[in-house]
Parts: sequence; structure tokens; C-alpha cells
Amino acid sequence: MSYHKPDEKTLQALKDIANKLRIHSIKETSASNSGHPTSCCSAAELMSVLFFHTMRYKAQDPRNPSNDRFILSKGHAAPILYAAWAEAGFIKESELLNLRKIDSDLEGHPTPKLAFVDVATGSLGQGLGAACGMAYTGKYFDKASYRVYCMLGDGECSEGSVWEAMAFASYYKLDNLVAILDVNRLGQSEAAPLQHNMNAYKERCAAFGFNTYVVDGHDVEELCKALWHAEQTKGKPTAIVAKTFKGKGLKGIEDQDNWHGKPMPKDRAEELINDLLSQIQSPNKPLHPQLPNENVALADLTPIHLLTAPEYKIGDKISTRKAYGVALKKMGDASPRVVAMDGDTKNSTFSDIFKKAHPDRFIECFIAEQNMVSVAIGCATRDRTVSFASTFAAFFARAYDHIRMAAISQSNVNLVGSHCGVSIGEDGPSQMALEDLAMFRAIPTCTVFYPSDGVSTERAVELAANTKGICFIRTSRPDTAVIYDAGEKFEVGKAKVVRQSDTDQVTVIGAGVTLHEALAAHDELAKEGLNIRVIDPFTIKPLDASTIVASARATEGRVITVEDHYKEGGLGEAVLSAVGEEPGIVVHRLAVSRVPQSGKPQELLDMFGISAKSIVAAVRHTFAN
Amino acid sequence: MPSAPNYKPGEKIATCKGYGMAVAKLGRYNERVVAMDVDTKNFTCSEIFKNEHPNRFIECYSAEQNMVSVATGCAARERNIVFASGLATFFTRAYDQLRMAAISDSNINLCGSHCGLSDGEDGPAHMGLEDMAIFRAIPTATIFYPSDAVSTEKAVELAANTKGVCYIRTARPETAIIYNSNEDFHVGQAKVVCQSKEDQVTVIGAGMTLHEALAAAEQLKKERIYIRVIDPFTIKPLDAKTIIDHVRATRGRVITVEDHYYEGGLGEAVCSAIVNEPGFTFQRLAVTHIPRSGKMCDLLKIHGIDLNLFALPRPLHPNQMK
Repeated sequence: MSYHKPDEKTLQALKDIANKLRIHSIKETSASNSGHPTSCCSAAELMSVLFFHTMRYKAQDPRNPSNDRFILSKGHAAPILYAAWAEAGFIKESELLNLRKIDSDLEGHPTPKLAFVDVATGSLGQGLGAACGMAYTGKYFDKASYRVYCMLGDGECSEGSVWEAMAFASYYKLDNLVAILDVNRLGQSEAAPLQHNMNAYKERCAAFGFNTYVVDGHDVEELCKALWHAEQTKGKPTAIVAKTFKGKGLKGIEDQDNWHGKPMPKDRAEELINDLLSQIQSPNKPLHPQLPNENVALADLTPIHLLTAPEYKIGDKISTRKAYGVALKKMGDASPRVVAMDGDTKNSTFSDIFKKAHPDRFIECFIAEQNMVSVAIGCATRDRTVSFASTFAAFFARAYDHIRMAAISQSNVNLVGSHCGVSIGEDGPSQMALEDLAMFRAIPTCTVFYPSDGVSTERAVELAANTKGICFIRTSRPDTAVIYDAGEKFEVGKAKVVRQSDTDQVTVIGAGVTLHEALAAHDELAKEGLNIRVIDPFTIKPLDASTIVASARATEGRVITVEDHYKEGGLGEAVLSAVGEEPGIVVHRLAVSRVPQSGKPQELLDMFGISAKSIVAAVRHTFAN
Repeated sequence: MPSAPNYKPGEKIATCKGYGMAVAKLGRYNERVVAMDVDTKNFTCSEIFKNEHPNRFIECYSAEQNMVSVATGCAARERNIVFASGLATFFTRAYDQLRMAAISDSNINLCGSHCGLSDGEDGPAHMGLEDMAIFRAIPTATIFYPSDAVSTEKAVELAANTKGVCYIRTARPETAIIYNSNEDFHVGQAKVVCQSKEDQVTVIGAGMTLHEALAAAEQLKKERIYIRVIDPFTIKPLDAKTIIDHVRATRGRVITVEDHYYEGGLGEAVCSAIVNEPGFTFQRLAVTHIPRSGKMCDLLKIHGIDLNLFALPRPLHPNQMK
């Protein structure tokens, strides 16, 4: 197949669209009196060629699964993205002037309130990882011909997550992925470190395994050709490193410092617009994007249920981390949409059980947690898959900005963190998650599962797969007894009262390892005729406030919470929030109060006051009062 | 600091600018002070430090994880007193590094600007609404949330001399100076900024919402309803004693209002402090769901954390509280 240069009329039309996009960007940001027109102007030819020559998509159905995908990783150039969709006919041109208004979906940075936005951007460095997830899905899961294009800024390339994504893309031979770098030299508060050293960009991209072209980012013909070559390249993703100028087309502003994030001054805007208008030769020649090659079926959104009940008997011993692995494999049996990924911890998180059973649906993301989360998000866009990403719970802290953005992206990704708390023992605090409940509780769309045995873990995985928003499942390292019957039903936001009597003196709420400590405390106290009610919250968010309040009232307002987590933001504070507005309830919280150390798990539970012994002491203390 | 803050009551300065001025001033008299930023120095105002002490400023570009690591490295063996700044929300990018900084016993100081809804039109990607939650969950952290430029300067001074990870939360909008330059500030010491003998409820706010609470106090005064307003100054450690004493004096009624999500922030911190006090009625106002782009004043209203405590549909009118 040889390259055919587009005819002069087409090239001129593409140049004209680029200038129209510039004009729209100026008008939008002038109307809102905020925004980033100069960042838009450097990308004008890139956007024009991508949207009106290279990409194949149905303009009136942006989310069609057959469409080529586009991610604007440099999300602050949102105005030009909106302008492109206006030129494509999906947005009314008049709506553009509502940029950043409280009642417009054309927000300052793109969010999926808009059908043509799959993942929210605005926090730099996250788009390429999501693009990798989409490209991986297209190539290996959907086995379709759609291509994925991601535009990044040069300042953005300082983010490490960009390079995690680059490594992933070449490792997995994502030849349906194109990264476009808009190298306009200037960052936000000063020039980007490499400025216009195009050779440095070329060498870095090539070193990361990309088929790399350096182009004049304002030459539409060069862009058409490079993007065509990208499509012909097999076995490697492509990087188009475009040399551009910030504010290109704006006289006196192009390539000048101090114009980042500034709308055009009122007294210059009209002149700049007229100048651009004068360069448009065929203002009325429309260009229509090509349609996709094939029809990719819409995702089957039937809920996914375990084909068989959990196979555990009460008293069996299994860690919740292993129960996750078993559950995930079973979900993979139940539906081809379930895919899993891990950060080189699959033998510890037990996602390797899924990998053995469904090797073509497992993605090893290596030690790159940020990218793993982005890939999981990308795989889940347009509902192509139900994704489960796992690593040690502590290491989701590495990806917290990505998790935050996943919520803004309305993602349904499922994240599973093992090795929570001090109960992991000898590896010590760097491997212990003691703040993850706080992290995930502060994510608005998140459901936080904290199952305490094998049966409830399996049901948590099943529920997570069918629950919208981000789902986090916290699993533990040590083996613990199965306490629920295989037929027990579980629901989000429904706690279980696992021990109760008519003479309960205190309600004790624990989860995971500390639920078992509470059960041990219960048995110990029962020997002396002191009964306590024990509650397993199952989900920390949403928390079953009514069960907890009812139980507290039945135990004279006395509640003890015990968690393998720091004091702040976890189970204790969640319970406080639930009962805080109820009079007459006293809550005593047991949690880890300082950075822990290495030691045997049981020793650490005792040392940090969250073991059965500590619970017994706390019960006696509140009972004495 | 060799001299008191140089502001006059009523002057309007954003706390993010107050930070920039304070760090520059601290650096004037102490050569060990260094600062760094992630290509946001024009927003965080760390460029004030850069302009005055260019050879002690490290531009880390758009790489938050690395900035925190570099900060930790610079502070090791006490070679430097480090102040690293960025937008509040982007410290979420470096949370594992912050977690490890505590395990490393590091004394780094961090400043997150444009907290909460104050970045308005940029939209939710730029809004720090979970930063108090994540810093509260760091055992060695001290969290400063100064509400004017005077207390911001004091926060910077205290942070430089406080062990552990110190975080200063600053905001974008200009706000009035409310403290005299000679006001004394301490970690874990709240300030009662508005009180009378007839106060019916204690309102605790910080940053923007402290100013909203003060404005509400003014408005309610006209209707002969009096509220007590407390500025916690540090969210961690929180001055539980002052809060409890004053809430008792206002018949056990307390409202917290924060430019942050419900979970893990000021409201939960106060709740933790007062939960076992009998007879307290507690209401929390915070941001409930992911916000959208818009003008800050509109966003504050939509999320119910603006001046108009009075007009809210929720039963928060002091006369309606039990």
C-alpha cells in the first residue's frame, strides 16, 4: 500500500478548519474570560487532521464502540476539543460560548458528561495510560480495527506516568495506538525542560519502543503522511512528535512567555480573529470524517453472577486475599467480559488464579501502579470489559490521583488491595495499608468492601462487578475462618450481626482481621457471662448506619470500633459519622495510632491495641463505666 | 521569622499569596530554607521565593511524585528546611511518597494551594476536596489551614520548626486579614474569632468557609441571632478542648463547614473530638458530590457551604436545632 497525498483542496480545507478551530478557541475563552487559548492554538492543525482526515468515527454517535477513540490528555486544551466536535456537527456552535458556565457541560476540562469524552482529563499525564487500556482492549479483547489516538503536551511529559504508559504500549505491541506530542516549548510557569529539542523527544520515544516521527506540527500534509504511516506500522505503537508553537497564529503572542492560561485581551481579540479569518480560503467547504470500518457490537450489560455458590464450609481456613483469587476466576468463568490486571504481585494477591484459568484476559502491568489503574479504566470505557485491578492495598496510594480522576471519569473500575494493615507482619510498614480506607472513602463514587471471610469475599467480588462507580475491596494476608454459610446473601450497605444475645452490653464493630479478633473477644468475655454484640459492616461505604444505630441502642449506647487502619478516616470515623447525630451513643475507637514496625502479625495486633486482648480490655473499660 | 507579619486588618490577600510572601521572608533570614514547585509557581506564589532566592528554588516541573521525593532527599540529614508546593489536589499524585515520608521520619513541609472549590471554572480535576482526609491519615502530619495571610505566615514559621510532615492548605481567592500582626499562634490551638454572651451555636470553618461563617454571623446579627465562630488553625492536631468548651457554652450545638468532601476532613475531625460528649448536637456541611466547572460563588452555593446558612433547606437554623 502506498501513500497518496491528499489533493490541494483537501489540504486547504484542513488548514481552514485549523484556523476555524483557533477562532472558536479564542471566542470560547473570551466569553468565559478564562481558559487556555494559546495551548489550543498550538494543536490546531493536529486536531484538524485527526478529526477531519485520519480518524474514523460516527460524528453523531461519539460513543459508538466501532469509532476510533481520541483522548485529549492535555485536558486544558478543552476548548479546541469542543470546537472540533462543533465543526463535526455534534455540538451547536452557539453552545461553545457557554464554556465553563455553571449550567453547561462544556466544562473547563473535559468530563464524560459529554458523549465524546471517555475519560476525564485535566490532571496531566493520565490520558496515555487510559489510551493503552483502550488500545489493548481493541487489539486483544474486541479484536476490532478501531484505533486510539492520544494527544499530550510537552510539559505533561515530565509526568512519570506518561513513561509508564509508553513502556506498556510498546511491551504489548499496541500498534493501534498513536501518541501525539504537541511540543509547543512552553509549560505553565516557564518553558518545558526540553524546549524544542526535538531530537531528545525522538530518542526517548524510540528508546521506549515507539515508532517515532518528528514533524512540523503546523504542516497538515506532514501530519497526514505521518498518521498514514502510523496506520501501516505493525507491532509497535507510534509517537508523532510535533514541533509546534504555543499561540500559533496569534500575532505577537505566538511562542511568547506568560501566555499560558490567559484569554486574549478584549482589545486584541477581534483583530486576532480577523487575521485568522483572512487566511481561510474556503470557509464553506465541509469535511466529513470517514466512517468506521466495521460494526463492533455494543457491550452485553446483563449482570454477571457466579455460576455456583462459594464452596467453603464454616470453619474452613482461607485468607480473604486467596478467596479473591478464587472468586475472580469464577467471575471469569461466568462472563467473557471480566478481565484482570496486576502490578507484579499476582502471586500475593492471588490474581494468578484468574491468570491460570483465563490467560488471555489477564494483563500483567508490572510494577507501575498508576499505569495499571489507567489501563483498568481504559479497558472499562464504553463498557467493553468489567475490569479488576489488584496490588497491595498500600500501593494504591501510588495511584490516588488516578483513582480520584477515575471518579470524575465516571469509571466502573474495580480495585482490589491485599495485605492491608499491620496483620501482614514482618515485611513492615512500607507494605502495610493503614490509610486506604480514608483514601477510598473520600472518593464520591466509591463503594468500599471489607469482607471478613471467604464467602463474603466471593460475594463482594460479584457485587463489585455489578455496582456502578469505583469499587474497592480490601483483603488481608492471614488465613481466617469462614464464618458465613455458603448460601448467605450479601448486599452493598448491609451489615451482618454475627453475634447477638438478649443481654449484650456493648456493640463491637470490626472488619477483616479485627472482626475475627472481635469474635475471639466475644468468646473470651462470654466465659465470664459478659455478652457483646458483634457486627461485620461488610461495606464501609456505604455504611449500614441503621443496623449500627439499632444495635447501639440495644446495647445501651455503647459502641467499640476496632480496625487494622490508622485512626483517621477509616471504620471508626465512618461509624462516628453515622451515629454522630444520634444522642446517647458513645463510641470508643481502637485503631493503629502511629507508624508501625516489623513483627509477627499477632504481636503487632497486640502492640497496636487492636487484638482480642485489647477488645476485651476496652469492653471491660466501657462496661465499668 | 525576625519580624511580625506586615498586614493590616481588612487588607485583602489570598492565603496562597500569603504563603509565597512568608516563605520568601523566611528564606531571607535562614539560608537553609529551600523551596520547590511543580510548574505551578505562579499559582502557588512560590515564585515570590524564586524571584528573591533563585539559587534556592528548584523547579521540579510537572512531576509531583518526584518533587516530594526530591524534597525528602533535600531534607535528609537536616541539610535543608524544605517547602514544596503545588495545587492541593495534585498531592494525591504523590500519596505513596507522602506515606513513605512519614515512615522515613521526614520533616518536609508541603503547601497545597487552590484547595476546594476555589479553582472554580477549571473544574473538578483541579479541586482539592480530599486532601485533608489523606493528610490526616498520615501519623506524623501536622495540617495547617490558615484563614488569612497573618496566620498563613505564622503557619509557615511553625511548619519550619515542627517535626514530621507539615501540610499547609491555602486558597486562591483574596480574603480579608482578620488577625493582628502580633497575634500568637500555636500548633493545636484554635482561635475564637467571633463571640458574645448570647451565642446559640458554634460554627467551625476554615479558609473560605471561615470567612463565610463570619459573613453569616454578620447577617444573623441583624436578626438578633448570635453565633460563635471558631478558626481551628490546625486541623491536625485539632484543639478539641477549645471546641468542646465553646460548644458547651452554646448549648451543645455545633456546625462544621468545609470546602472538602464529607469524608475525612474538618467535620470528621471535629466529630472525632466531640463524639463522646453528652448533649451535643452536631451538623456537618461539606461538598457531597463531584462538582462541575463554574464560578466559585455559584459552586459554594450549590454545595451548601456559602454564606447563606440561613437559607438552606436543611434544618440548620439555630432556632430549629434541638
